[in-house]
This record gives sequence, structure tokens and C-alpha cells, in this order.
Amino acid sequence: MPMYSIAGLKVFMEPRFDKTQKQSEQYKIDYAEADEADILIDYPDRAIERWGEIAPEFNDESKEYMSFGTAFYKGLINFDGIMLHSSAVVYEGKAYLFSAKSGTGKSTHTQLWLKHFGEDAAYILNDDKPAIRRIDGRYYACGTPFSGKTDLSRNALVPLQAICVVRRGTENKISRLDMDEALYSILNQTIRPAVETAMTRVLDIIDGIVQEVPVYELYCNISEEAVEVAYEGMKN
Amino acid sequence: MKIKEGFVLRQVGGRNIVVATGKASQSFNGMIRINDVGALIWSRLSEGADEDALVQAVVEKYEIDADTAKRDVNKFINNLSEAGFLE
Repeated sequence: MPMYSIAGLKVFMEPRFDKTQKQSEQYKIDYAEADEADILIDYPDRAIERWGEIAPEFNDESKEYMSFGTAFYKGLINFDGIMLHSSAVVYEGKAYLFSAKSGTGKSTHTQLWLKHFGEDAAYILNDDKPAIRRIDGRYYACGTPFSGKTDLSRNALVPLQAICVVRRGTENKISRLDMDEALYSILNQTIRPAVETAMTRVLDIIDGIVQEVPVYELYCNISEEAVEVAYEGMKN
Repeated sequence: MKIKEGFVLRQVGGRNIVVATGKASQSFNGMIRINDVGALIWSRLSEGADEDALVQAVVEKYEIDADTAKRDVNKFINNLSEAGFLE
């Protein structure tokens, strides 16, 4: 039975299709009993069915991938963690999460970090949906198999330095968001549960995050200067 | 006078935040922030308090006179109602 270690959690799941299997490969750990799992994901037939109704253009492989992802992030909230729709880049042992709606350019920006600092020094932890998790009182950004359209993810837990909302601009400028804006930004880019008890848990997790992790707003164009501005603004 | 089902009030980042879940999230997609008096009224309302009980709670907590409290409570209830939080 395949067991995976994702965000420091033992996850039991049995993907049938190539995409999920390949994406999950680096997270696999030795054979273990299903009852040792922190998160046990039954094969998500119903979720796949629902995807089929909402978005019939997705093939079975994609539907399985998305359904396992959703199930994982749902279980994650029971372990002090949430998903943040963002591109996570690691540099100097710290994770910077660039958050924005799809299409704004967060992946473009994090790719420039790799270009600017070199691929030996910087890497993408997860290009679409890193997990943020509190472990022993510290916040970590975690790679997961679920990284969106590009396959970029690494099985690592990295201290979370900052969250940064990305906006397109002509000039590069970074500033700290106030608490209201920070809350709004995070809430908007995470999964909001349908059930009250789970939503309460998500809000409590966000409460913890905003007390410890600074949230910034970056206006940027597509340039290496944008990377410098972002890095200088957040590195301390 | 009751708050619609599915709304969650919680302290987040030192603020009183309200978000919607379930059916309520179909018509309310964001989050709102309410002040401490509002949060007190909201909590009591969720517990089934009527107008008198709400006024009493505000009087007790803020040590103001009943008339002022009543005005504050009514104002807040009206805001809630207009925003579609009450059923």
C-alpha cells in the first residue's frame, strides 16, 4: 500500500493514473499500514464524478489529480495547515510565497528568482498550491504533489519567511499590508470549507499565520529588478 | 430576528471577522469586519437573544444608558438586515 509523506504528514492514497502517481513519486515512503496514516484518502469517486459534471472537458487523469489534491488540503486543516494558492520560491533556506489570482504572473515572477539568483541557489517549492503548516510553533511552507499545470514541486518543508500578494505594475514597489488587507488576501487564496466547524478551524489557522508571518503587496513588472525589490523588501 | 444559517463569526488577527459557509456562501462571498459592540450583539443574537436582551448585554458591558444602547442595537440590527444577514 502506498504511503506518502506530504507536509510532514503520513498520507495514504492510491492513485490510479499516471499524473498523480508521477507527481507523488518523490513523496513516497516505505510500505506502511493504512491505519498509521494521518490523512487517509479513500479513492475520491464522488469528487471525480462531480468534476465530471462541472467540467466535463477534464480527462479522468486530471480529475483524479484535482480530487486527491482537494482531499489532501481538506485533511490538512486538522493538522494546523492550509493551502495557499501561490507560487513558492526558496532562497537562503527561506520560503517566499507569491500569491495572486491565476494569470497575474506569480509563476513568471518566481521563475525570475531562479534566473536572478541562479538555479543552484533558488528553487520552486510548489508552483501553485504550497501547504502552510505550523509545526512546533513555527510556520513552514511545504511542497506537495499538487502543483498545478507545471510539475514544479519539491518534497521539502521550509521556514516561511513571508507571503506576498502580486499585482501587475509599471514600477516595482513593495509594501507591507495592514491586518485587514492581509486577512482578506489569505482568505481569498485558500480553500473555504462549506462546513462551519471546518471554516472555524481555517480561520483559527489564518489567525495564527497573520500574527507570525508578514504579508506584503508587490507591484511589479517582468524584470530582474522586480526580484531585487521583492527580496530586499522581505528578506529581514 | 435571527442570523441566517451558515455565517461564522471569529476573532482573526485581532479583528471580529464574519464569513459565510454552506448555503449562505452562495449569496455572500467575502468577509466583513465588525466592531466589538457588533460582535457582542451578533453573538447574543446567535444565542437567540431578543431586542431587550441585546440592549441589556450592551448596557452591562459598556456601562452606558439604556436609551443609547437601544439606539446602537437598532442601528446595528438595521445594518445587518440591509446587508442580508438576518432572516
